[in-house]
Amino acid sequence: MNRSLVILLGALVLCAALLGGSYAVSRRVCQNCMSKSASDLDWLQQEFHLSGAEMVNIQKLHEGYLPKCAEMCAKIAAKKLELETAMNGSTNVSPAAQQKLAELAALRAQCQAQMLQHFTEVGQTMPPEQGRRYLAEMQRLTLGLHEQTESSMSGSAGHEHHQH
Amino acid sequence: MNKENINPDPGFAGSSTEACNARLSALLHTSRATPALPPRFPEGVWRRIEEADAPVKTTGGIAWLDALAALVLRPRLALATVAVLMITGTLFGARDGSQAAHQNAQARYLAAVAPNSLH
Repeated sequence: MNRSLVILLGALVLCAALLGGSYAVSRRVCQNCMSKSASDLDWLQQEFHLSGAEMVNIQKLHEGYLPKCAEMCAKIAAKKLELETAMNGSTNVSPAAQQKLAELAALRAQCQAQMLQHFTEVGQTMPPEQGRRYLAEMQRLTLGLHEQTESSMSGSAGHEHHQH
Repeated sequence: MNKENINPDPGFAGSSTEACNARLSALLHTSRATPALPPRFPEGVWRRIEEADAPVKTTGGIAWLDALAALVLRPRLALATVAVLMITGTLFGARDGSQAAHQNAQARYLAAVAPNSLH
C-alpha cells in the first residue's frame, strides 16, 4: 500500500510541477514577446483593430496632446505645492487654503475637460463603432477610477468611524 | 563404470565386501543422532507451502490504489499525461500572458494620456 501511495503522490506532484512549470514559462515568454514594442499606442491598435492610416492620425493627435497634458500636470503639481504651503502648520483650513483648493479643483476640471476633448478627437478618427467604444472605455477608465476612489474612500471613512 | 576395489587386501572381496558395507552403514546410522520431529510437522510444512503459493489477499481500498499505481506506471499513459499537461499549461500560460501584456499596454496608454486619473 505504501509503495502505491508513494507512486501516486509522486505522480501527482510531478503532474502539478509540469503543469505549473509549463504555464509559468509560457506566460512569461508570451508576455515578454507581446510587450517588446513599447509604444504607448500599441493598446489602441490591438484593442480597436485600427489600420495604419488611422494610427498615423492618432499618433499626430497623441503627440499634439502630450505637451498640453504635461503642462497641465505641471500646473496641478505646482498648485498642490501651494496648497501644502498654505496648509503647513495650520490646524484649520484657512481662507487662503480654501482658495488654493478651489484653484486646484478648477485646474483638475480643466485637465479632465482637455483629456475628454482629446479622447473625443481620437474617437472621431476611428470607425464610428470603434470610436464609440473607445470613448466609453476611456470614460470608464479615467472618470470611473475617480468614482472607485471616492466610493472606496467613503467606505474606509466609515470603517474608521467604526474603529474609533 | 568399473568400481575399483580400494581394499588393501586383494583376497578380501565379493560377499565379504557387501557385508562390510552393510555394517558400516548400520554403524553410521547409529552414530548420527536424529532429533524427534515436532507433532504434526508434515501438516505444518504443507500448510506453509500452500500459503506461499496462494495469491496475496488485499482489501478493497488497497486494491484500487494498487491498480491505479500500476496504471500510472504504464509508459504510454505516463507519456500521454505528460504531453497533455504540458500542452494545457502552455495554452493557459499563453492566454494569460497575452492578457497580461494587453493590460500592461492599456496601463501604459492610460499613464500617457491620463496620468492624473491614476492618482
